[in-house]
Amino acid sequence: MIRLESVSKTYKGSVSALRDVSVDIAKGEFVFLVGPSGSGKSTFLRLLLREELPDEGRILVAGRDVNKLAHWKIPYVRRNMGCVFQDFKLLPNKNVYENVAFALQVIGRPNHVIESQVPQVLDLVGLAKKSDHKPDELSGGEQQRVSIARAFVNRPLILLADEPTGNLDPATSVGIMRLLDRINRTGTTIVMATHDEGIVNAMRRRVIELDRGAVMRDQERGVYGIGS
Amino acid sequence: MFSKFGYFARETATSLRRNLLMTIAGVLTVTVSLFLFGGVLLLSTMVDHGVARWQGDVDMQIYMQPDATDSQIEDIRLALDQLTQGDLAGVASFTFLDKPAAFEEFKELFANQPQFISSLSDPEKLPTSFKIVPKGAAFTEELRLSFEGRPGILRVLTPDSSVRFLIKLRSNVRLLFFAIAAVLLASSLFLIVNTIRLAIFARRREIQVMKLVGATNWFIRIPFMLEGLVEGALGALLAFFGIIGLQKVLASQVADANDLFSAFYVTTGDALSIGWSVLALGAVIGMVGSAIGLRRFLEV
Repeated sequence: MIRLESVSKTYKGSVSALRDVSVDIAKGEFVFLVGPSGSGKSTFLRLLLREELPDEGRILVAGRDVNKLAHWKIPYVRRNMGCVFQDFKLLPNKNVYENVAFALQVIGRPNHVIESQVPQVLDLVGLAKKSDHKPDELSGGEQQRVSIARAFVNRPLILLADEPTGNLDPATSVGIMRLLDRINRTGTTIVMATHDEGIVNAMRRRVIELDRGAVMRDQERGVYGIGS
Repeated sequence: MFSKFGYFARETATSLRRNLLMTIAGVLTVTVSLFLFGGVLLLSTMVDHGVARWQGDVDMQIYMQPDATDSQIEDIRLALDQLTQGDLAGVASFTFLDKPAAFEEFKELFANQPQFISSLSDPEKLPTSFKIVPKGAAFTEELRLSFEGRPGILRVLTPDSSVRFLIKLRSNVRLLFFAIAAVLLASSLFLIVNTIRLAIFARRREIQVMKLVGATNWFIRIPFMLEGLVEGALGALLAFFGIIGLQKVLASQVADANDLFSAFYVTTGDALSIGWSVLALGAVIGMVGSAIGLRRFLEV
């Protein structure tokens, strides 16, 4: 589903963000991307989204070489990928329902699809009863559920999550991880960048550890740090 | 399809309302600059009509020196007489204005300035002249050349020289107004660019989300393009009505004026055709403005 072949990326005037990274992620996998700040986790995700181009190497997402995509095709590839962020990126002037529906509206889905899909996904994330609340009326955990609902409403093949529990307390984080796990069970590939040791250790999924842009470890059913 | 259209209309309206002051500033600048632009076109259409009439109509005139001798005047009369004979001759007819007739004409021309007339104590100082009706506008230059410099002649006044002065004046004034209008058009373009940039900034979160979920660039751009288009077209529409109004005012002024200026007419048709081009120009300015405003935003 996702394949990086000898990918390197250096930002102007800084040390390399990614160095010769080769990773293969199969369909339906749940992968943790761990490592300290500045280790290249975010660059990894940005390259998958084709927000940036690598200096070297090939990146294949769902069988397409994303670096060779024509400009106008990029949005269509992104429709296969959902995104969740630490800061949720919800629109404050829209309520829960509208925030989720927005993701379908702007890719031109017809109204009847929106009307059937949005309540369904809000039900999945457990927010069916709060669909007319504005984001600032929700707790952090609830806001992250809305953002997951928005990422998942178009049933993407891949869900990318950048520190989704970074702003949440441990109890709430567990709930979010349960939700991601449930989405993973529908066959969605999940790549999650995280600092959260407890979560990684508890889930026992594949762990890719990055350090100063290089892959230090790629382990099935791994834990956060070696020996922990 | 319908839901998309509704979406674009809603987004455009919201954005226009959110930046209301900028919107008004943009619309009014477009209005002023396009009104000026259209007004200049309208005025020069008017002058074109007048010039066309004058060029065909106005006689040429040979002014004699005030102290020209009778024999000198007689020479000119004979020469003109000969030019009325034959197919190739250029003079259709001519009349001589002696000093009393010249004084009469003088009084007529300055009828609204009696003190100026009374200041002319001696009608003997007025030049006598020949009024000539050429067979066509093409002959005037030829006639002028053949008479100018002959003894006793003060000046040969052809319609060309008076009209040429008018045309020159017109083109200079037109140039000045077009320059002003161009500056104003450019500033209205920049204002629209700025409005669009502000609108993009106000909606940067939405745009970020749209890009993340895979909205196409055109889908993101269209509401902003429409916003610019609406501003340009709205400004142009106001200018359109202004130009129609200006035509009405000018037409009524000309209707009240004397015969000399009745040639300077301008029709509703003229105003309409200028108005349409002004409308199109406004729409183009709006679109180009938003395209420039969106340019930085072209990359994904």
